[in-house]
Amino acid sequence: MARLLPLGWLQLKHQPLRLLAATLGITFAVILICVQMEFREALFQSAVRYHSAMDHDLVMLSPKTTYLVSTKQFPRTRLYQVLGDAGVERVTPVYMSLGSWRNPIDRSSARNIFVIGFDPSDKGFARILDEQQHDLIKLSDHIIFDQRGRPEYGPVAELFKNRGPLAGEINDRSITVSGLYSLGTSFGLDGGVITSDLNFMRAFPKRSKSAIDLGLIHLAPGVDAKQAQKIIVQHIPHDVYVYTSQEFREMEVQHWNKTTPIGYIFTFGAIMGLVVGFIIVYQILFADVQDHLKEYATLKAMGFTHGYLRTVVLQQSLVLALLGFLPGIGLSHLIFDKAAAVTGLPLALDRDAAVFIFLLTIGMCAASGILALRKLRAVDPAEVF
Amino acid sequence: MTDSPPISLSDVSYFYGKGALKKQILFGVGTDVRAGEIIILTGPSGSGKTTLLTLIGALRSAQEGSVKVLGQELNNAKERALIKIRRQIGYIFQSHNLLDSLTISQNVQMAMRFSKAKGGNTRKQIQDVLERVGLGEHMNKYPSALSGGQKQRAGIARALVNKPSIVLADEPTASLDKQSGRDVVDLIQELAREDGTAVVLVTHDNRILDVADRILHLEDGHMKSLTEAVSEDTSRMLNLLSKHDPSSASYLASFAFALARVAFADNEVTEEERIAMQRILRDVAHLEPAEVNFIMELSMMQRLAQSQMADRTGDGLGADRTKHFVESLYEIARADGSVSPEEINEIRAITAEFGIAHPE
Repeated sequence: MARLLPLGWLQLKHQPLRLLAATLGITFAVILICVQMEFREALFQSAVRYHSAMDHDLVMLSPKTTYLVSTKQFPRTRLYQVLGDAGVERVTPVYMSLGSWRNPIDRSSARNIFVIGFDPSDKGFARILDEQQHDLIKLSDHIIFDQRGRPEYGPVAELFKNRGPLAGEINDRSITVSGLYSLGTSFGLDGGVITSDLNFMRAFPKRSKSAIDLGLIHLAPGVDAKQAQKIIVQHIPHDVYVYTSQEFREMEVQHWNKTTPIGYIFTFGAIMGLVVGFIIVYQILFADVQDHLKEYATLKAMGFTHGYLRTVVLQQSLVLALLGFLPGIGLSHLIFDKAAAVTGLPLALDRDAAVFIFLLTIGMCAASGILALRKLRAVDPAEVF
Repeated sequence: MTDSPPISLSDVSYFYGKGALKKQILFGVGTDVRAGEIIILTGPSGSGKTTLLTLIGALRSAQEGSVKVLGQELNNAKERALIKIRRQIGYIFQSHNLLDSLTISQNVQMAMRFSKAKGGNTRKQIQDVLERVGLGEHMNKYPSALSGGQKQRAGIARALVNKPSIVLADEPTASLDKQSGRDVVDLIQELAREDGTAVVLVTHDNRILDVADRILHLEDGHMKSLTEAVSEDTSRMLNLLSKHDPSSASYLASFAFALARVAFADNEVTEEERIAMQRILRDVAHLEPAEVNFIMELSMMQRLAQSQMADRTGDGLGADRTKHFVESLYEIARADGSVSPEEINEIRAITAEFGIAHPE
């Protein structure tokens, strides 16, 4: 038996223009899918900026808390309770609330800003603030300002960089901006400041120091977070939740996905991309099958089975998937680089997403190939004479 | 198995359509094709010859009768069995049907998918078969780079590469000029002879009929003898000629007849006489050699028949036949209502010529 020729590929190769058109079509579809999925992903990623930035192994939350900007308080003692559990090294109580920020230039404009307070002698914010900033917020009414917040807060970062510490106002209380950090915006969160727990109390006099919004739990090195979580949950009353950092982020994403149309819109966009790609591949393959009907009938007359012709068309669809996917992913990368610079969203294609999109592309091409195959059924070998 | 003919048809009928639209295409066709035999299947368009070929080729199955190919009964056979038979047959298609996106050698290779040869020999085998059909230098070209004749030869190479015991060809010369058509048929004949292949060749092309061991003629789905078919065709052609160009036709006919009579006078026509007749006829009539040959052959056949008839008359024909012969002549004379004196004179002349006594 002679070596089997890759007929599908040879047929594609024989018509380079058509191949190019098909490849471009699929590339376009891949870019559409990539961009939609990645924007969706990036928006959700941006919702968990603070989650990812805060250093922790486990977090403690009130069961009523559904997302970061709207936390409910729980007793601080619950957090200290877990200190006794095996594996727990230390804990950091965190206070959070939305305060009103007055624009230092246009003083008539006030805007909600996310205020975080923690004990600067505790761990937990080392990824955001440097050591010097930890010391600075120990001073009364000193805060660190997010330079990647919305411009509506005023040119705080610029002023700070040019002139050094400057005066601001939170909840009508004068404060000093003594440093900058860099995280960025997300849903319901236009900008933020970080300060000490004491300064937080000064800005929010109604808040009690014993009721915290978030507890960061640091485990000893080598302790499994899942395991520790199990132990802790058994020991404390069920008026608080303990999440791993993964679950913590999922909570936030879930909230935005369910309560806003954002997830839906981008999923819809990705599906549109898929449909467009599907139609393009189907058109190309259908035309290809149509053009080769006589040749396929000849092959049938020579003794080739319908199954063989099926593999030819499927081979074509897989080749098209591969040829379209590679430039599609490449161009998507370029687009993300540009878009990330403009929007400040964390746009980057991770490997899992790329694999997923690749599988999606193959699925799309194979499905349209199978649909185009229906034409093949009509091939009557007796027609060729 | 080895003794049974590769192709055996008996009482094959085929219908297209269903119910009220059902149309019979083949009526009880039957014949056997032996190994190494070349059969040419002729007939006008729509006579069912292609249908018959597709039945033999296992591309469809007949509703009635028996089609046995390589020992396998194809009527009501399963698709799987049909495919198995298809793999053992070499097809030569009317318009070559090469795969445009494959090179010539790849096209041949496609057919080798079902050959029993080992993989290592593939290239060599392809090379050999292409050299046999004179395409050794064009192995790696695409069909679009070849002439019509070359493409058809590539199609033949593809059909023959597996050394099939049956080759079916449908109008292999239809799209070719005279010379390439001739080359292609000679090639099929040569290869079939070498490999002992049974060949069934469907054609309209009278120029290639001579390669056949046997000619089958299909008309409206009925198998006819060749003489029947040829006579029908010839009388139609003669009729056409006398309508189209009556003066030259009749002059030529009588002139040729006269020449033939002289040539036959010694009861034998030598090659020299033949050539001389051809030359004379060509000079008078300004006809193409083919036309001259046709008229000459016809009149010689007529003369031959006449002289044989004359030899056999008297005691040869017998009383009954003689009576019948003369009565028939009178019957024709009476056909227009009355027997004129001219007609009686002519009948007398004929009987005298044949040496038959004219009853008073």
